[in-house]
Amino acid sequence: MSDIHNVAVLGFGTMGAGIVQVVAASGRPVTVLDTDQDRADAGLARLRAFLDGGVRRGKLTEAGRDELLDRVRPVTDLAALASCDLVIEAVTERADVKRDLLARVAAVVAGDALIVTNTSALSVTDLAGSVPNPGRVAGLHFFNPAPLMKVVEVVRALQSEPGVAERLSAFVEDLGKDPVVVKDRPGFLVNHLLLPYLNDVIAEYDAELASAEDIDTAMRLGLGYKLGPLELLDLIGLDVHEHATRSAYDATLDPRFAPPPLLRQMVAAGYHGDKNGQGFRTEKGNAQ
Amino acid sequence: MTSHDRTVAVLGAGTMGSGIATVAVRAGYRTLIHDLDDERVARGVQTVRGFLAKSAKLGKLTEDEAAAASARIEGTTALTDLAGAGVVIEAIFENLDAKRELFRELDGIVGKDTLFHTNTSTLSVTGIAAGSSLPERVVGTHYCNPAPLMKLVEVAGGRHTASWAHRATLEFLASVGKTTVVTKDRPGFIVNRFLIPWENSCIQALENGLGTKESIDAAVTGALGHPMGPFKLLDVVGMDIHQQVATRLYEQLRDPKFFPPPMVDRMVSAGDLGRKTGRGFYTYDDNRLFGS
Repeated sequence: MSDIHNVAVLGFGTMGAGIVQVVAASGRPVTVLDTDQDRADAGLARLRAFLDGGVRRGKLTEAGRDELLDRVRPVTDLAALASCDLVIEAVTERADVKRDLLARVAAVVAGDALIVTNTSALSVTDLAGSVPNPGRVAGLHFFNPAPLMKVVEVVRALQSEPGVAERLSAFVEDLGKDPVVVKDRPGFLVNHLLLPYLNDVIAEYDAELASAEDIDTAMRLGLGYKLGPLELLDLIGLDVHEHATRSAYDATLDPRFAPPPLLRQMVAAGYHGDKNGQGFRTEKGNAQ
Repeated sequence: MTSHDRTVAVLGAGTMGSGIATVAVRAGYRTLIHDLDDERVARGVQTVRGFLAKSAKLGKLTEDEAAAASARIEGTTALTDLAGAGVVIEAIFENLDAKRELFRELDGIVGKDTLFHTNTSTLSVTGIAAGSSLPERVVGTHYCNPAPLMKLVEVAGGRHTASWAHRATLEFLASVGKTTVVTKDRPGFIVNRFLIPWENSCIQALENGLGTKESIDAAVTGALGHPMGPFKLLDVVGMDIHQQVATRLYEQLRDPKFFPPPMVDRMVSAGDLGRKTGRGFYTYDDNRLFGS
């Protein structure tokens, strides 16, 4: 059983909304902070739309949806977070923005409240440095879409006190997910493995090993993957992948993380994958 | 179709050869399976018939269909018996000289329009094709193991492969119910080209303490939706096989990401090859594969 009862989520974007849903579904009250009322309303509308989909598919009752939404409290004032046991930061992937926000949060919440970041590309250890008492900081890396993905990486920062990862793991299990405790290394565990593989595929596709469709078909049928690598890239977003792999490259200078030239060019051309209909496997803007 | 078109010859009665022969007889082709001695041939024929009998028991085929397919398989140790084959599929051990020599001998036995397929996984199709005086008829067709169950075949022409041979190969593979992808004659084709560095990097992550075998398997299956984590998969594939394939790709590509990490050598030295020896990354109470 987890000792974490009162949760705050910072940022009501895609990841934030997904995390809010997962936490609220576990019966906990969730306070969600965003910068202004419009963004908070938009996040709540996104969450409601997602839940309505669940109601239509019979996964959730209308009463269940309403109860879940009742537990969600959008706020724009940092002071509203004062009573939280756990703060999950899920704002834009910029170190300066996150560091500034975490420092301000640390000044408001209780001294023993846990502060975690959902970053996928930045160093948790580095972000922990912005908080006066960094022993209570760790990473809690949900995968997108958070309500559907079973695994959550619990990232131990260099400063994380003993016991923090265990408390977070118990919390993750309470959410019905599988915690995997990992080191604070670029890409943690999953992206550390995934980024070089995806880069390798992009480079070989650019070198005309096979068509995008045939590469995906080979990996799906040959290895039983749910998605081929290029359709996965379109789903992740080419801009998101480019940012993640560039960050890992900057942190390691390991060439396996270097963004392949075709990826850079597709991002420069504004091809972001499924979200704007231009990617490797989309009808419009097929790379070759 | 002529009887010539309806006859398939499979060279090599091992796991891949008998699996491919099963695919051919199931699709209605009279199929000859060839190996060097009677014992191996008999074992290959038995493997084909055993698979078909089990398919009937599981209701995947009717008894009549299984019996008819079983009747279409025939074994031989004489290459001259393959004279009437429309398609010859080579599935012997991974040795370039042996494969070349086989195609050279077959040149004098089969018709000029007989297709030569090689199921090589790590050698160059062009290199193997050079054994035949008609390299334009040689095409790489890489099946996945177990061939009767896996839909995918990677198709790769060599430098001299003719377009008619490529086209006829795709038609043949469609006629036996396979899904084809077209790739180039490059080491590892598509699947092994990406799988080997992936497995190597997972092994390195384990050696570097980024996770345990259990946590890495759990993270990969949970976050990426793979049916098996990297270490469960390596135990099924066999560490000796992974070592061989990785080493061959490295020798051709000279890129360190293909080179098997030291842990692979240690596990092979210790005899911890995976499920087939009862111990690999995990230990097993039995050594059954694919629930057989």
